[in-house]
Amino acid sequence: MSQARWFPPLLAVALAVALSFLTLPIVAIFVDSGPAELLSSLDDAAAIDALTLSLWTSTVALVIIVVVGTPAAYLLATRRFRARNVLITLIELPLVLPPAVAGIGLLAALGPNGLFGQALDDAGIRVVLTTLSVILALTFVAAPFYLRQAEAAFSALDRSWLDASRTLGAGEATTFARVAIPAALPGLIAGLALAWGRALGEFGATLMFAGSFRGVTQTVPLAIYERFATDFTAALGLSAVLVAVSAAILMTVKLATRASPARVLTR
Amino acid sequence: MSLHVEAVADLGDLHLDVAFDIPARQCLALAGPSGAGKSSLLRVAAGLLQPTSGRVTSGDDVWLDTARNINRNPEERRCGYVFQDYALFPHQRSWQNVAYALRDRPRAVRQREARGWLARFGLEHLADARPATLSGGERQRVALARALARRPDVLLLDEPLSALDTRTRASAQRELADVLRVTEVPAIVVTHDFAEAALLGDEVAVIDEGRVVQQGSASQLAARPATAFVADFTGAVVLHGTATPAPDGTTIVTLAGGHQIRSTDRAAGPVAATVFPWEITIEAAGPATSQSAQNHLKARVQFITTIGGRVRLGLAGTENLIAEVTTTAIADLDLQPGSHVTATWKATATRLVPHA
Amino acid sequence: MIVSHRRVALLAVLLATLMGLSVSACGSDDESTANAGDSREVVVSAAASLKKALTSYGDQFDSATVRLSFAGSDELAAQIRQGIKPDVFAAANTKLPDQLFKEGLVEKPVRFATNELVLAVPADGGDKVASLADLTGNDVTIAVGAKGVPVGDYTLKVLDGLPQAQSKAILANVRSREPDVGGIVGKLTQGAVDGGFVYRSDVEGAAGKLKAIELPDELKPTVEYGVAIVKGARNKAGGQAFVDGLLEGAGAKALADNGFGAPGGG
Repeated sequence: MSQARWFPPLLAVALAVALSFLTLPIVAIFVDSGPAELLSSLDDAAAIDALTLSLWTSTVALVIIVVVGTPAAYLLATRRFRARNVLITLIELPLVLPPAVAGIGLLAALGPNGLFGQALDDAGIRVVLTTLSVILALTFVAAPFYLRQAEAAFSALDRSWLDASRTLGAGEATTFARVAIPAALPGLIAGLALAWGRALGEFGATLMFAGSFRGVTQTVPLAIYERFATDFTAALGLSAVLVAVSAAILMTVKLATRASPARVLTR
Repeated sequence: MSLHVEAVADLGDLHLDVAFDIPARQCLALAGPSGAGKSSLLRVAAGLLQPTSGRVTSGDDVWLDTARNINRNPEERRCGYVFQDYALFPHQRSWQNVAYALRDRPRAVRQREARGWLARFGLEHLADARPATLSGGERQRVALARALARRPDVLLLDEPLSALDTRTRASAQRELADVLRVTEVPAIVVTHDFAEAALLGDEVAVIDEGRVVQQGSASQLAARPATAFVADFTGAVVLHGTATPAPDGTTIVTLAGGHQIRSTDRAAGPVAATVFPWEITIEAAGPATSQSAQNHLKARVQFITTIGGRVRLGLAGTENLIAEVTTTAIADLDLQPGSHVTATWKATATRLVPHA
Repeated sequence: MIVSHRRVALLAVLLATLMGLSVSACGSDDESTANAGDSREVVVSAAASLKKALTSYGDQFDSATVRLSFAGSDELAAQIRQGIKPDVFAAANTKLPDQLFKEGLVEKPVRFATNELVLAVPADGGDKVASLADLTGNDVTIAVGAKGVPVGDYTLKVLDGLPQAQSKAILANVRSREPDVGGIVGKLTQGAVDGGFVYRSDVEGAAGKLKAIELPDELKPTVEYGVAIVKGARNKAGGQAFVDGLLEGAGAKALADNGFGAPGGG
């Protein structure tokens, strides 16, 4: 009976502390400088270049991730085979890798001195220090976020839906497209949002593997880093934009999942 | 266009070994306890489960023949499958669910035909509803409509009514029985309820631990259960004991509790003696009006349950029995829980089944 | 009653934790002498090019433990402007320490080393880039420091001294503007670029992976390193001892061993 007196307030305090800690840096970005200063700092061709580059490289990376990752996650989720757990761990590995390690790994694999360096060179493909390398770095760090969510979403599907689809005359591919994906959509979209956020925020691997050059490889995080030393207000401005974009993505996800009609049926 | 299913499979602890032939227009009710392999058999027929060896044919179409390496995909077999939880696609409306079965029809007519199917089940007003908003009974009918819309060669129904509450179930049972009567294709209905099996199936097959224990009409199974399990399943009272043939041609069974009863069946050794609850009459306790052809058991009433016009009595004595009597009998004897009675039934009503 | 005791005790613990967190965040300027732990530690923010030299100096520093953090000098200056207070700030130019001194954030800076800006190429790069002029070639890729980073500013000075056509051609071949010289070295050793502008100390520290091409005398910028004690630092005495050693002693030796030159003026 005494617990009823102090436990609820304790919960409230914990939440208050967590909330303040998490929102403070974000609020500070918008409050540290005036809004006029923030906006004018964005009126800078380099900033616009960085934003454009971030947006389209992250989009391309996400397209690759979704197109390749969705069927891959489906296979993992719907088949039981011996190596399954190992494969899942391997796919999740980049999640826990520090971005710098990811950068090193990409260089070791695809850099000029890397495993495939000579082969790429022979084929005339330049990877490092190009926009392609940005896309590769973003794909590498963001893919596990999507794959994990997608695999969980497909695993949570009621198998009888997939079976029913087959008995109703639909092959595996049709079942995948017409039943599995629509039913798993909320989870897939959540994974997409997480992966996109991660891709937009990627810094360390990009810097090491792709370098930093305006218009080609300098994404918003890299631009923020460059401005931080010389023009803090500009850094704040770009950060504010990134926060706004990330918030927009998150909200779109929330709306999309609420609108989705797929609900778990209970008896 | 009959259906032939035979399969041998090892499913975890269960070894499945069954074979059936179901002629067109006939329905086989597969009954048995959970885990007996009933659903697995349906899945083999539909191609959702691969047996170690087996053969499935629909008329002249060979769907599966492990000996000849033939194995058609589920989508290539024309099965109408109703799943236990109906498996309606949650992201589609009712008519879309049914239309999914009509994908080989021209696009322009699909919606109309789907709605038509729903109308046949009285669901046209729910055609635009999503499964989550439907009641259990409504979902069951949509699932049935969807399976039938496929114009299948075979109907496979996996416990199609067990998800329903008792009230809905009664009407759904009658409805399903009507559908099965009209349908021209062979059908298999899986159930764990004997009364349902009796209602829906032209024949009943009892499966236990992966094997068919007995197959025949419902009344055959009830009248002559092949094993104690079948007897119990059909609702009989089962008493275990040892049988000794008596010189007058009857058999004396010494029950586990020590009591002796008589049966007109011939048997020896360990047996299960079965009698149906409605064959047991109740008399007030006291010196039994003994007739040699009757079995008597003193017992105490444990519970009295009225279902419709019938009353089920739970009796506890050296053996436990269930008796089914009329309400009049209860009133006449002023029976209450705790009353002492004598349960009586005929030796001819006592069937003996060898007990393994 | 027991109820309120518990509640009070828990809230007290929570408050104490919060207070403890905020106290450690603010730091305590007036406790440095009383707190034995502080005087045994010297916090140094230094330019990336000083990494090898200062790490070995720090290992030999007796009177305290040296905690080093390396980054582009401009980034470190920005941190100090934001209120972060290391004990010592060592930059790859004199401009940044002088600026901070003018802004009242550091004590008067002292020059402690010189370096040489060189054009570095991968040692196994063949003869693709053998001179400054080769940087204008068609298929050549270059990495430089970003503007505001000392090595980047020095590079721009060099390019300004060239005829416009040549400097334009070279800039057109730049593929990356790195936030510190370590990034340029990394790109070179990876073979990602054909040439980059780094310090001679970086080439010497790259264990044979890089080759230095000396710049023409008339283009060589004066690369002087400045160091200053940060105002309001926790361990001024320790910082001063560290700086003294840089000018004369184990620090000076470490600098010389790593390819740095002696400071020019006083």
